[in-house]
Amino acid sequence: MAMVRLDKLSKNYGDVVALEEVDLEVEEGEFMTLLGPSGSGKTTMLNLIAGMIAPTSGRVFIDGRDVSTVPPNKRGLGMVFQNYALMPHMTIFENIAFPLRVRKTANDVVKREVGRVLDLIQLPHVADRKPRELSGGQQQRIALARAIVYNPSIILMDEPLGALDKKLRETMQLELKRIHTELGITMLYVTHDQEEALTMSDRIILLSDGQIEQMGEPDHLYFNPNGLFSADFLGDSNMLDATVESGGETTSVRTAEGLTLIAKASAISEPGRSVKVMVRPENVSIRRSDESFDNAIQGKVIDSIILGGVVKHYVDMGRGTAEEEAMVVEELNRPGRTSIRPGVEVTLGWNASDMHVLPLEGRLPDA
Amino acid sequence: MAAVEKPVGSARSSGAIFLKITAWFGFLFLLMPSFIVLPMSFGNQYEMVFPPDSFSTYLYEQFFFQSNWMDATFLSFRVAISSTILALVLGVPAAYSIVRGTYPGKRYVAMFLMSPILVPIIVIALGLYLYFASLGIVGTEIGLIFAHTMFTTPFVIVTSMAGLRHVDQSLETAATIMGAGVMQTFFKVTLPLLKPAMFAGGLFAFLMSFDEVVIAYFIADTGRMTLPVKMFNSIQWEISPVLAAVSALLTVLSLVVCVLAASFQKKS
Ligand SMILES: Nc1ncnc2c1ncn2[C@@H]1O[C@H](COP(=O)(O)OP(=O)(O)OP(=O)(O)O)[C@@H](O)[C@H]1O
Ligand SMILES: [Mg+2]
Repeated sequence: MAMVRLDKLSKNYGDVVALEEVDLEVEEGEFMTLLGPSGSGKTTMLNLIAGMIAPTSGRVFIDGRDVSTVPPNKRGLGMVFQNYALMPHMTIFENIAFPLRVRKTANDVVKREVGRVLDLIQLPHVADRKPRELSGGQQQRIALARAIVYNPSIILMDEPLGALDKKLRETMQLELKRIHTELGITMLYVTHDQEEALTMSDRIILLSDGQIEQMGEPDHLYFNPNGLFSADFLGDSNMLDATVESGGETTSVRTAEGLTLIAKASAISEPGRSVKVMVRPENVSIRRSDESFDNAIQGKVIDSIILGGVVKHYVDMGRGTAEEEAMVVEELNRPGRTSIRPGVEVTLGWNASDMHVLPLEGRLPDA
Repeated sequence: MAAVEKPVGSARSSGAIFLKITAWFGFLFLLMPSFIVLPMSFGNQYEMVFPPDSFSTYLYEQFFFQSNWMDATFLSFRVAISSTILALVLGVPAAYSIVRGTYPGKRYVAMFLMSPILVPIIVIALGLYLYFASLGIVGTEIGLIFAHTMFTTPFVIVTSMAGLRHVDQSLETAATIMGAGVMQTFFKVTLPLLKPAMFAGGLFAFLMSFDEVVIAYFIADTGRMTLPVKMFNSIQWEISPVLAAVSALLTVLSLVVCVLAASFQKKS
């Protein structure tokens, strides 16, 4: 059963539409991520679910119960904040015990439960300290422990790792994932970091301007973007303006540069239609003589950049030499890789199945 | 315990030293009148002179054992403590409502509650006198307590409002989402975090009440005078040198209170 269900939920601030008729179901035990640029309505959606703000219209269900008019302290939710929001005047023990004390839990149960979650977050010895005596990462783990300790039906997290540095953030991502798997607790996680979303989520909701742009498993979103926004927001992409020539098993298009390319089958392949075609940099190869691809184009290498494990080549394919006009090729950086110098003529190749046809505006119908 | 660490090189630059010296001069200048009173309080029984030509504790004996000075002192303490407690009980929730509330016309409520600060004190005193006369509580202790509560509450509201603005609201949000009701959040989260501001506001209210002479002069009667009123009276009618001893004791009291406040603030 859906743990959280939103039914045509909208929130307006005067003329600003922060959230527009959103329908959504978060399944029990799911790790769901709200991903979107700044101002897309992520925090608004979380606050509506938590009950910190009232919806303009629509309803919120938690665990099957309509909570649209239930105050936040009666919704049985947990929340983890970016600034931790630990009580500075309480010890770590009392901080974690707080939700239990509010529920008038017996003392021995409080002791046992706090001990349990402190073990779970692997910080068993900090119970007597004050929050300011812990590092940022430790404080965030305490905040998580505090949200777990009373078994809420869902834990909401608004960019919980936003204040941590990259290394610690990655550790905490794994930690969160581990705790999620271990407890099977439902989590709704907000981030604007696409990598974080791809790493952690069972499903991702892509938000833009208060609307759900696309929703699905990370792989699905990455490999089947349903519009320019999704394609652009998740991962890197090479986009080309094109006109459809013919549809069918594959889609044949003619680009603005006059190249004929073959893309995968598409729902918008009426001949003559203006579209964009997109291919991910890691799906484009620099062709060796013994390889063959559905698409092959000539170009001249502008620059190559080594980014640790991967190498990015910028190739001029007739559009110009600026970085955003170049075709980007990404390949794994292996020892013995033939290095490619700027100015070299190369042939780029990729298959039709890796090339997507996208509408100039709006979204493709759900596949 | 978290140790309070001083940054390296702090209070060492010539600018910092200059600032310290200036501060001390200003401090001494302000304290000079009090320091003059101290030696005078150990003078003899006949007149107030500076510097005193003989040393005795006669004035202190007078204050503590001979006259009704102690009655006035105890009354002042009782009034100051009671009105401080009342001012806190009224002022802290009022400040909470003004800072955290979302109702319309909040600004006007705030302005109304602060208005006693703007009205000349003599007007307040006269108004209270006429009002309390009709209630029949002029010249009573409860009348004095109410009058001083009214006088100090706006200051408690101001300090509490400043304190509340420093209490991170996301802590209250967090408490609410974890299941705490309005009252639980207020008493378990907001109030403990507001303690330093309440302590400062309370001390301030205490000193203001203990010190207050105009309102107390209107409300008190001859049999029931607060310490400042009795001092004022004695300088008019008796020119008693005991005044020097009282002033010295008041100075010491203020110092003790301030040191207490400072040490408390350092701790929290
Ligand atoms: N209290 C408010 N009053 C008016 N407009 C608001 C208010 N809160 C949010 N908005 C507007 O609603 C929209 C969505 O805001 P929201 O805070 O949900 O964005 P977000 O996705 O969380 O962004 P970020 O990643 O920057 O946190 C924005 O356009 C914002 O300006
Ligand atoms: Mg936000």
